Amino acid sequence: MRSITSSIDSILPVFLAAYGPPGRESGIRAAIKRSLRGLGPIREDAGGNLHLHRPGRGPRLLLAAHMDAAGVIVTRVDAAGLGRVSLLGARNASEFVGTTILFEDGGRALLGYDRPRGSKDGAEVDSDLLFLESGHGSSGARRRLSVGAVGAIEDRPLRLGDLWCAANLDDRAGCATLVAALRAARAPRYDLHVIFTAQSELGSRGAATGAFGIDPEIAVVVDLAHIDEKETGSAAVGKGPCLGLKEDGYVAHPAALSIAKRAAAAARVKTQWIIREREASDARAIRATRTGVPTVVVAIPAKRSGGAASLVHAKDLNQTAQLVARILTTPAATSRGGRS
Amino acid sequence: MSRGKAPAFEERFLETFSSAAGVSGGEESVRAAVVDAVRERVDSLEVDSMGSLVAHLHPDGGRYRAKPGRRAQRTGGRKPHLMLCAHMDEVGVMVTAIDKDGLLRFRKVGGIDTRILVGQVFRVGRDGLRGVVGTLPPHLLSRADREKVTPIEDLYIDIGAASREEAQGSVSIGDYGTFDTIYERWGQTRKGKAFDDRVGCAILASLVQSRPPLPVTAVWSVQEEVGLRGAAAAARRVAPDLAIVLEGTAAGDAPGQKPDESAPMMGHGPALTVQDRSLMANARLVDLIERAARRHKIPTQWKRPGIGGTDAGRIALSGAGVPAAVISVPCRYIHAPAAYLDIRDARRTVELVWQTMTTLTKEWP
Repeated sequence: MRSITSSIDSILPVFLAAYGPPGRESGIRAAIKRSLRGLGPIREDAGGNLHLHRPGRGPRLLLAAHMDAAGVIVTRVDAAGLGRVSLLGARNASEFVGTTILFEDGGRALLGYDRPRGSKDGAEVDSDLLFLESGHGSSGARRRLSVGAVGAIEDRPLRLGDLWCAANLDDRAGCATLVAALRAARAPRYDLHVIFTAQSELGSRGAATGAFGIDPEIAVVVDLAHIDEKETGSAAVGKGPCLGLKEDGYVAHPAALSIAKRAAAAARVKTQWIIREREASDARAIRATRTGVPTVVVAIPAKRSGGAASLVHAKDLNQTAQLVARILTTPAATSRGGRS
Repeated sequence: MSRGKAPAFEERFLETFSSAAGVSGGEESVRAAVVDAVRERVDSLEVDSMGSLVAHLHPDGGRYRAKPGRRAQRTGGRKPHLMLCAHMDEVGVMVTAIDKDGLLRFRKVGGIDTRILVGQVFRVGRDGLRGVVGTLPPHLLSRADREKVTPIEDLYIDIGAASREEAQGSVSIGDYGTFDTIYERWGQTRKGKAFDDRVGCAILASLVQSRPPLPVTAVWSVQEEVGLRGAAAAARRVAPDLAIVLEGTAAGDAPGQKPDESAPMMGHGPALTVQDRSLMANARLVDLIERAARRHKIPTQWKRPGIGGTDAGRIALSGAGVPAAVISVPCRYIHAPAAYLDIRDARRTVELVWQTMTTLTKEWP
């Protein structure tokens, strides 16, 4: 499956660098749209999701990965010309400190932190004390940092041996594996809908409305899962895609899980189990759409760096894409689960 | 009915609506006042299952009504179907128990700062009986107690009844209490109760006095202050193409606030929302509103991002998604007995929504 690897190697850096904080996904939307050329009709829905439809005769299958990445919004510009911010997304404030923030108009600023005097090194970062330095003094800053401007971490992805090291892997890694899978997949057994969701970081807002519009019968969510010894048990980076059993607001549906398991066996992809309490994916919104949707999460294991960057293994990306491609040709169980 | 020209902001609506009692879940009096104000002007009017008031107006005079759930292309050519929404409910209190000595125990409905409760006069129960949140005078309090905020569990409303039996003659458990405030005018300033969001209700009632240039469903929603509930249900039924929520929002211009912390300011025009806890406003819709404002020289300001939440958050997530925005009148002292607003901001908001509707007919989608 060299083609999958070369797809990911060429797409992922572009996706990582694209501008796309929650609610302002313009850059990443354009990048994904370009990468999907020739794969079917694409539209942007009312919630800002990018929706690809490959009509087919089977049940409606929804594939979803979120395209937004955590960002910041300027709440005010103080007398010294420093932008004050509120965080968009579930990311820890400390992970933003020292990053370069990119704005939609191409402007940049450094995100700094006024560490309170006497605070301990390990003390939690108070997001009220974050500031944006644009380097243009107090009057210039007012023109460059406007209240309401939305910024994203400017990513400089690194490849270290087998590992990708980047700030926006959650969930640009999922987006890239979906695109690679779609490019590699044979004719699906499903009426296939793919959404790259918007505003996931703000509570799966895009996924909720996107799934409502599609009314799927089965759903597969591809997301990044941070490995944490205390929480996620033995799951490890480099040991294959994880099948999500439980998250906040989600437990795997047996019918959907069965498709993923059979696809993994058929594609000879080694999978791991993952249970996570604190992180959650779009699955919580999609599985509760309309009268309910059998849903399974396929998670790419990632390691935190403690700062902005996460680490994922190139082999896990390849295997995740292979698994997803195979899911598209794996029949749904007929006895229960789907509505067809 | 006039066409094409922006309607005037009707201050009498603000005074009537502001003075009516309507704590979340008990909006009947406000709803009755809104019905009186708009019934002659709209093509249809109904109360939905949760109690929200829903009115349809069509540019063609109701011959093709924007029926709930129908998209605009089937009802009004290519013009988008717009939902305008303002919430009728206000924050207040609810009686939870009546002590044997006739004092009323109560809890807050919606967000009220406990510090402002002591000494406050509330109108309670079906007869609007006045009662005061009792406290010992400073003479009888220790120095330490004078500095403390009394927890709500220790507060009570004294309606002057001497016994439980006497109190039960006019008050029942579950009765609401509202602030007792008289509407007043000083120059451009207006003082009144529940400007959050009776000013939005009055703006919306003023707007429907003229026939809109596109199909409009006007919703006066219930239970916003306790979790944006009425609008969520209404939006699902209305299924609009886009939505604008009209609000009274917290003005930040108080002494001691730094200039960059005082936005939005009373008297500086309608406040536009980029983002709050419930919503990322639709960027295209906000741009269009800003454009309409600039073209018609209506001053606007930004609401501070990251705080608060409105019905727009729920409307945006209804069905397959609805592009939504919020336009607010900055009010000082909301969620407290008496709010202030600048009447010019209310007038400008009517003008801005009207010009936005006109722009939408040409520039949306």
